[in-house]
Amino acid sequence: MTAATINRLGLALVALLTVAAPWLLPLVVDEFWVDIYSEMLIWSLLAASVNLLFGYVGLLSFGQALFFGMGMYGVAIGVAKLGLGFWPAFGLGVLLATVMALIAGALAVRLTWHYFAIITVVFSLIFYFAALSWKPLTGGDDGLSFSMPPIVSLGDWELSLTDPTVQYYFIIAMVGICYVLLGVILKSPLGWAFRTVRENATRASLIGLNVYLIRLTAFVIAGFIAGTAGALFAFFGRYASASYMFYHVSGEAVVWAIIGGAGTLLGPVIGTSLLIVLREELSHIWEHYQILVGVIVILVVIFAPKGLGGLWHALVNRIARPETPDPVAGDKREDQP
Amino acid sequence: MTATPILEIDGVEKHFGGLAALGGVHATVDSGKLTAVIGPNGAGKTTLFNVITGILNPSAGSIRFMGKDITNSSVHEISRLGLARTLQIKSVFHGMTVRENLWIAAQSRQGIFRPFTSMKACRVANERADALLEELQLTHLASQEAVNLSYGDVALLEIGIALATEPKLLLLDEPICGMGPAETERTVEKIRELSKRIDIVIIEHDIEVVFDISDDIIVMALGTVLARGTPAEISENADVRAAYLGDDDA
Repeated sequence: MTAATINRLGLALVALLTVAAPWLLPLVVDEFWVDIYSEMLIWSLLAASVNLLFGYVGLLSFGQALFFGMGMYGVAIGVAKLGLGFWPAFGLGVLLATVMALIAGALAVRLTWHYFAIITVVFSLIFYFAALSWKPLTGGDDGLSFSMPPIVSLGDWELSLTDPTVQYYFIIAMVGICYVLLGVILKSPLGWAFRTVRENATRASLIGLNVYLIRLTAFVIAGFIAGTAGALFAFFGRYASASYMFYHVSGEAVVWAIIGGAGTLLGPVIGTSLLIVLREELSHIWEHYQILVGVIVILVVIFAPKGLGGLWHALVNRIARPETPDPVAGDKREDQP
Repeated sequence: MTATPILEIDGVEKHFGGLAALGGVHATVDSGKLTAVIGPNGAGKTTLFNVITGILNPSAGSIRFMGKDITNSSVHEISRLGLARTLQIKSVFHGMTVRENLWIAAQSRQGIFRPFTSMKACRVANERADALLEELQLTHLASQEAVNLSYGDVALLEIGIALATEPKLLLLDEPICGMGPAETERTVEKIRELSKRIDIVIIEHDIEVVFDISDDIIVMALGTVLARGTPAEISENADVRAAYLGDDDA
């Protein structure tokens, strides 16, 4: 089998397990793991937005939680304050996050490295405190809860996330769409332009690429992805809270992305899942479990700079039959799924 | 053949703090010729290239490329007009394969804001990348990451990246610096061959190579143009012998 075939089979298996999880998981573990699994998938999108910027464009953002928060508040304010239905509120959340990314990005992507990292933190802090203090709109410290509007209703019949099965499949569908979208973009000329900026921004501009515009585009797409995650999480928890906008949350997403493997499409899912499982299993038996997380980060950064996703690709390439030379396919590359 | 200037440099100055790296450079590059820029270290050759390609903005003066003012244009805009360049410190996309390097450079002319087209579907850039692999004899390295290439192959790849953008004028900054004799010969041959279809300006320290391949030589010293002429004229020029070639060599 070639590496590409193994990867495709692995992906198909994970997709199948994900679809079957509401039946499979309760056979092995407690039923609440179905909920935790969908939560992991939502959070993995936040890590994916960090990964898009860091792993593909070379910009380390410590502010992605800002866009996650925008997605949350868009939904919660849309439903609770504006009386919007399900889809308009969803759209409002994603739109707010994307527009916010456009505005913040227009300023931030002029900078790189630590300057960029700092300005992303500053942006998220500004809006964190704004959300805390603008009580009438955001609920301040208490957050803003809402009651779930139906996805669709036809007469008496309605489809709503209040049904756990509907909620689970809605979340995996939305998360799946985001990953497919990312996968398509990363295989396109735009995705390759992202990589050129990561590799060598001077050379990228010398071949006629507008580095600023490419970074901004990536920033807006990352904002869209983080915003979608936030909107989904608002529906998942039926509320929005400023605490999810704090830069500590952004930092966690950076850790998930790095452990999972920056520059691999599905690395963030691996990193996020692993660390959320650790949190669920360890946090109530050992209050300092974060020390273990720290040790894992250090080990991964030293011994597996491409993260667990990178390890997976190295393993697959070792056991796989060498591919027939096909100059067009880049399937052996580590930044393929 | 009447030579028309493809590049006109008019009174270009570049100051870094109190230091004048370029102190009023006047020069033209004629179409259809291979022009060499020579001069001792610190003469301002690379600074001049940086100002021409938009990496640095000049403190004064103007630059015209094919009749168009590019004095304050940005790097990518200048590239899009058909001016390509290699750097003294070889500059490629290290983590990408040789083919991907050439492909994205070719695709840059077809447009990169196409998020829903796959790489495989970009026919023009694919053909161009494959043609360049063949032309530069890099086909056997196509799926190697650039970081694994030998120094000479990286230099060749960088020229390939420049060619993939289909330039009208190519600036080469010390293309053979650091190469062994065989690689030097291969690269010089390539440059000679290219100069038949693309206008080339080359910065080079190897005087033998310069006198061998160039039609026109611009001698720089201390941020200005000291002399300008054919190789024969330059080798006869007393100022140049004194300032650059050194009286000892004469």
